[in-house]
Amino acid sequence: MKRPATLTHSLMLVPLLGTTATLSAALGMILMLGVVTGAFAVCMAPLRKRLKGASTLLTCLLLAATLTSCADTLAQRWFLPWHQASAIYTGLIALQCIVLEYTGFFSRPAASRVKDCVVYGGLMVSLGGLREIFGHGTLGRGLSAHWQGLVIFPEGLHLLTLVPGAFVLLGLLLAARQAWTRRNSVIKETHHS
Amino acid sequence: MNRSANVLIVGLLALGGTSVTYWVNRSNAPQIAAEHSSLDSRKLLDVIAADRYDNQPLESRLVLADTSLRHSTLLGGYRATRSGQTVAVLLRSQSEGYTGKLELLIAIDASGKLLGVKSLEQRETPGLGGAIGEWPNAWLEVFTGKSRSEPTDAGWALKKDQGQFDQIAGATITSRAAINAIHDALRYFDEHRAALLENER
Repeated sequence: MKRPATLTHSLMLVPLLGTTATLSAALGMILMLGVVTGAFAVCMAPLRKRLKGASTLLTCLLLAATLTSCADTLAQRWFLPWHQASAIYTGLIALQCIVLEYTGFFSRPAASRVKDCVVYGGLMVSLGGLREIFGHGTLGRGLSAHWQGLVIFPEGLHLLTLVPGAFVLLGLLLAARQAWTRRNSVIKETHHS
Repeated sequence: MNRSANVLIVGLLALGGTSVTYWVNRSNAPQIAAEHSSLDSRKLLDVIAADRYDNQPLESRLVLADTSLRHSTLLGGYRATRSGQTVAVLLRSQSEGYTGKLELLIAIDASGKLLGVKSLEQRETPGLGGAIGEWPNAWLEVFTGKSRSEPTDAGWALKKDQGQFDQIAGATITSRAAINAIHDALRYFDEHRAALLENER
């Protein structure tokens, strides 16, 4: 059980780091992930019981490929600037769907699935927002054609706009979270004793 | 029984999936092509504000005569119009930079004032003259609002050459090439004003 979960997580890491250079890019990816994974879950629900063995994999593959390529085409039509920046990551959504299916994500209780999605979405948005603020010095650029976004700093830290910068930032966020939870648990312990 | 049902499901999905993908691709192709060309032209045309014109300047090419200018060559030109009136003329100018060709897009409004300059292609030294390739570009913005006679011919030069413009730090030749190309384009506009402004029929 441990291995497949690790596989899911490491796959989730790719869009998390790759498509969060700006807030608008992160929101675009969340939309794509949500639409494709949601449609996949809906379409698989009636099929899952009727399929067995190898044909399940084949069905998942066909469904995920169809949904992803349709979503990709529609993204080109409506969000072309986003698509030009993040197109290489959309293909991964199909793989993501299959991995989620095989690690039993869709058969978990709804509450835990929703919680995971909200946590992941929140992480994407906060990483995208932070990287845009500190990397480009703006917030919300590219969300609308008529709005240039909030300018917060005249210049940003170039490293944060790159994928390694995203990795560093994610590490810092994790460290902060760990420090926070450790501090809370220490406080709890002292209260108990 | 179960097996054949599985095969049927997979077969139907394969057929349905391919046809849906094909249909989505096909039905969206024209819009995607239009989006691509509008994005391309926006990238090229962001020297002038999008609400100033309502035509497709890239499709409205100008026929230019005598394109060899004093310091540069004109590669082509476009006309931006608004309700049929020419509001801007865009000239693509090529001159010799420090390390290679320097291509600028120079936008001039109907009264001969410069609307903006953008570099389209350059091979200048990164970190020095290469700064001309950045967009938005503070150095090139200085020229906005200038015209052939404002400043005078003598003023159209670097401060180093007794003109009135600052140069890009460490890139005298690049700056000189850009100033000369811009001045050339303004002079060309002045001399061919009637032909360039001739409104579309």
